[in-house]
Amino acid sequence: MAEVVLRRLLATVPVLLLVTAGVFALLHLTPGDPVDAMMAESADASTKESLRRELGLDRPIAVQYAAWMGRLLRGDLGRSIRNGEPVLENVSRRIRPSLQLALLAMAIALTIAFPVAIASAVRHNTGVDRLGTTFALFGICMPNFLLALLLIFVFGVTLRWLPISGYLDPLEEGWSGLRSLILPAVTLGLALAAVITRTLRSSLLEVLAEDYVRTARAKGLSEWVVIRGHVLKNALIPVVTVLGLQLGTLIGGAVITEYVFALPGVGRLVVDAVFARDYPLVQGVILLIALGFIVSNLLVDLLYGYIDPRIRLR
Amino acid sequence: MVTRRDFVKSCAVASGAAVVGLRPGAAAAADGPKKGGTLRVGFYIEAATMDPHLSGSKVDRQVYHNIYEPLVTLDTRLGIKPGLAESWSQPDPKTLVFKLRRGVKFHDGTDFNAEAAKFNFDRMKTEPKSIRKGEVANIDTVEVVDAATLKVNLKKADASLLATLTDRAGMMISPKVVQERGVELGRNARGAGTGPFEFVEWVKDDHLLIKRNESYWNKQGGPYLERVRYRPIPDDTVKLQSLQGGEIDVIDYVQPRDVAAVKTDKNVTVVDVPSLADFAYQLNHGRPPFNVKPLRQAVAYAIDLDQIVKGVWLNVGYPANGPIPPTSWAYDKAIPPIKRDLAKVKARLAEGGKPGGFEFTMTTNNIPLSVQEAEVIQAQLREAGITMKIRLVDASTLISDGNAKNFEMISFQWSGRPDPDGNVYQFFKTTPGTSFNWSGISHPQLDALLDRSREVSAQAERKKIFSEVTKILQDELPMIFIVHPIEPKAFSQRVQGYEAIPDGMMRFKDVWLK
Amino acid sequence: MDTSTRAFVFAEPAPAGSDRRWGALRRAARARLAPFGAAVLLAAIVVALAAPLLSPYDPLAQDLGNVLARPGRVHWLGTDNVGRDVLSRVIWGTRVSLVAGFVSVAIAAAAGGVLGMLAGYAGGRADGVVMRLMDAVLSLPPLVLALALGAVLGAGLTGVLLALGVVYTPAFARLMRGQVLSVKTRDYVEAARALGASGWWIARRHVLPNAATPIVVQASLSVAFAILAEASLSFLGLGIQPPAASWGSMINAGRGYLQQAPWIVFGPGAALFVTVVGLNFVGDAIRDGLDPRLRG
Repeated sequence: MAEVVLRRLLATVPVLLLVTAGVFALLHLTPGDPVDAMMAESADASTKESLRRELGLDRPIAVQYAAWMGRLLRGDLGRSIRNGEPVLENVSRRIRPSLQLALLAMAIALTIAFPVAIASAVRHNTGVDRLGTTFALFGICMPNFLLALLLIFVFGVTLRWLPISGYLDPLEEGWSGLRSLILPAVTLGLALAAVITRTLRSSLLEVLAEDYVRTARAKGLSEWVVIRGHVLKNALIPVVTVLGLQLGTLIGGAVITEYVFALPGVGRLVVDAVFARDYPLVQGVILLIALGFIVSNLLVDLLYGYIDPRIRLR
Repeated sequence: MVTRRDFVKSCAVASGAAVVGLRPGAAAAADGPKKGGTLRVGFYIEAATMDPHLSGSKVDRQVYHNIYEPLVTLDTRLGIKPGLAESWSQPDPKTLVFKLRRGVKFHDGTDFNAEAAKFNFDRMKTEPKSIRKGEVANIDTVEVVDAATLKVNLKKADASLLATLTDRAGMMISPKVVQERGVELGRNARGAGTGPFEFVEWVKDDHLLIKRNESYWNKQGGPYLERVRYRPIPDDTVKLQSLQGGEIDVIDYVQPRDVAAVKTDKNVTVVDVPSLADFAYQLNHGRPPFNVKPLRQAVAYAIDLDQIVKGVWLNVGYPANGPIPPTSWAYDKAIPPIKRDLAKVKARLAEGGKPGGFEFTMTTNNIPLSVQEAEVIQAQLREAGITMKIRLVDASTLISDGNAKNFEMISFQWSGRPDPDGNVYQFFKTTPGTSFNWSGISHPQLDALLDRSREVSAQAERKKIFSEVTKILQDELPMIFIVHPIEPKAFSQRVQGYEAIPDGMMRFKDVWLK
Repeated sequence: MDTSTRAFVFAEPAPAGSDRRWGALRRAARARLAPFGAAVLLAAIVVALAAPLLSPYDPLAQDLGNVLARPGRVHWLGTDNVGRDVLSRVIWGTRVSLVAGFVSVAIAAAAGGVLGMLAGYAGGRADGVVMRLMDAVLSLPPLVLALALGAVLGAGLTGVLLALGVVYTPAFARLMRGQVLSVKTRDYVEAARALGASGWWIARRHVLPNAATPIVVQASLSVAFAILAEASLSFLGLGIQPPAASWGSMINAGRGYLQQAPWIVFGPGAALFVTVVGLNFVGDAIRDGLDPRLRG
């Protein structure tokens, strides 16, 4: 088992190399550099040059990349050019809102998706089912910035029930913090719910059609027991996959939601850093995101194997 | 019964009057200034550093003007008044002698004196990462005459230097703090300033806290507030809503599109602060089509400034006649902004060899207001037969393209300086290499005037020189000037005593909370 | 999940092995919706092609005296912040969206197809490299990748098309590679090989026809998401340059006026939503229609 994990992790190294090299190249190809951005109100060329030299920006790209790699192998992700703080510190500051948002969104998604998917599958091809599938379809087709604006319009502007943007930490500010996360979490959660509903529903349908279920039914067991006892567990497998994949993307990829709701999360950090040409920060964050993604995929696969002994990792 | 206080809104600044907030005790009212309370301020981005010598960002300055003090400071009409220097004199054009205030201490307890001041100037000039070098370039040496007298020797006469010293270049940091803390000063400015407030803490991306300086040297008026808490809120809509919802008390800028609505909100007071800024478009004199003067003028005559200020800026600004804003004493209201004239456009096009019109690309910043302005200009030019393409880039690329002179027409927004020289010299003086003279203009008569404006010290004479400059600029068009924006600041009803100074810096010394 | 982010990930595969009874019924239910989807697609294409005829006003014509006008008789969807007719801009925006959707998927299918074939055929080293490359692309949140690419490629429709093309390529590459691998081991192929047939000939004769189906299915499902993706990029400020109208950039511009003039956001928003839903129906119908062939 440990050997498998190790092998998988090793296999990700070349991928990570490609990712970081690619991002490095992309960034340096983009016009504009961080010194110009930082010293926007000054045309003092000599100071800018010395700053560039100090940051090593005047050396050829390959050399800069090698230097970055060297530092990385020593465990140093570098410092943000803009605020001089270690990249890790910058990221860890932003992880909290992203993580809280992701977890809240998942909770909302699961709360909606499970009942809807189960009802749809059980009452297959009735009005309930159609409602469920329509909900799932709309959820997938709705652009999430549009959903965000819709929610803002209804709950923030018209009804004025909820704060429409900004972030307060629920762990520190309690209820107000939670309130600030509700709209963005619902935005992400509804979309996630749609995906989960679809997956769970079709997976449930498959299982429901299996022989052993028919047998259980024939034995006279109540529908509910059948579902809980046999169906759900097996139907969960693809759902676990989906969830696992989404977690990685939720944290690093909820860029639009963070943008619309002005949440200081990781997705937004990347965007801001790219716009400021803060090379070390972009490199570091992308690396961490990619790493996170890969690790969560690995965890999902392991979990998979745990749930269903038939699919143990070889 | 609590009486409502209203801030006096801006009068036509062209008449020279600046915006005046209600000074403590100025109007007949039941309550006077109270001590205490935390003022919560929302800014559009996070501060960058707490070291004024290394700072390049506008937001930093907002905090500095409360915890640090410059040698001289500005009044509401951009006049220079005493700061840490009680008085000053100029025995000859190349010498400035400051008489420093006695009995002033830094927050760490050390004395402010001429030695400390000299230390600061030396640091600005010699510290490798100092961004102030350009601003104090004209200073040759600084001498300590005695503990309260500082002699500044200039390389050449510079009438604009005093105004520069009202901001970061004149701010005094405690030498002891600099020596002991070194690089950490950027994050921790405890004990470093002499201002009405002192630095407490800074939690990045969250808040920056300063508190009342109980041993502040100026016993007149404030400081009244117990603490001031700055929060970075990058999104304009969020910022405004936080204010309207009572989560913060002050915001530094209201978008033009929100101004009308906010002014009807009874919980909020809006103060229109005419700024020092000038927003313009630089034209590249080094490449076609704008290396041909008549074509530059054609574009200038095709643009309708009034429509832009009305339609895009919603009258939160003044049409510009040049780089000098109406808030400045050097503003010449006798020179009108360029008026749209389609007949003249035709004439200039013919003169420039393009009677059928021509095509070019405008590079501008990818933010809503800039985009909108570009679209309006595009439509205006189209009516005149000129085709303009719009190229949107982000801020970094904009600066880099400008510096590299990689543009035909490019957006340029200068936040402005108290002395007209700060809005003029480095943009229009012939300068080889990289500079803010993005247009590449090189006009001998203009150069001579610019240099003269620094040598002469009498304001009336300088004003005449700047008028000459403006006239030449309207003819040569290194830039097409669009607007001098107003920076509306908004406050909750609890905030009293705010005095608006056109440099846009929010000084909270005499502010108190109801 | 961030739907727009999800838009970058290929649609999940059809559930295999449904019970015959359920399957048939499901298909029937879908079939009812498919005509709706087809109608939407047709309408979108017609609107896109006939935009100059259908649009009541010039989408670029500004009217600074009549900004933020409510929807009414004169302007059915009101006007935006510089007085342009929203309905006209929505109509013209259809062109942008359809082009973005179809072209970017075409690019991805072509690039992915080639890469997948290369990987499947060459095997060994080349296979490893190509697949690692695809993994690298997939390991980044798609929107972040598109943003980074967009920043380099510069704003504008071309940049967006290329960026989206890159983001969708791995899905097609994997698909094609899978097809190649499965065909490579078939008896008749091995026989052909033994008889001296070149790889090229085998590709043309056997691989492509078999692969065509899943690729078409994947492509048809991807178009809807590509349209969503373009809207997201335009929303963030990349993509279509002003003053051209794109639904995403219109929604972004309208953000600041949500309180005063919500129609600027919801006019193009509704158009976007309906188009994506309709295209999704069509994609599903194509997939279900070709379903039996998939399993073959």
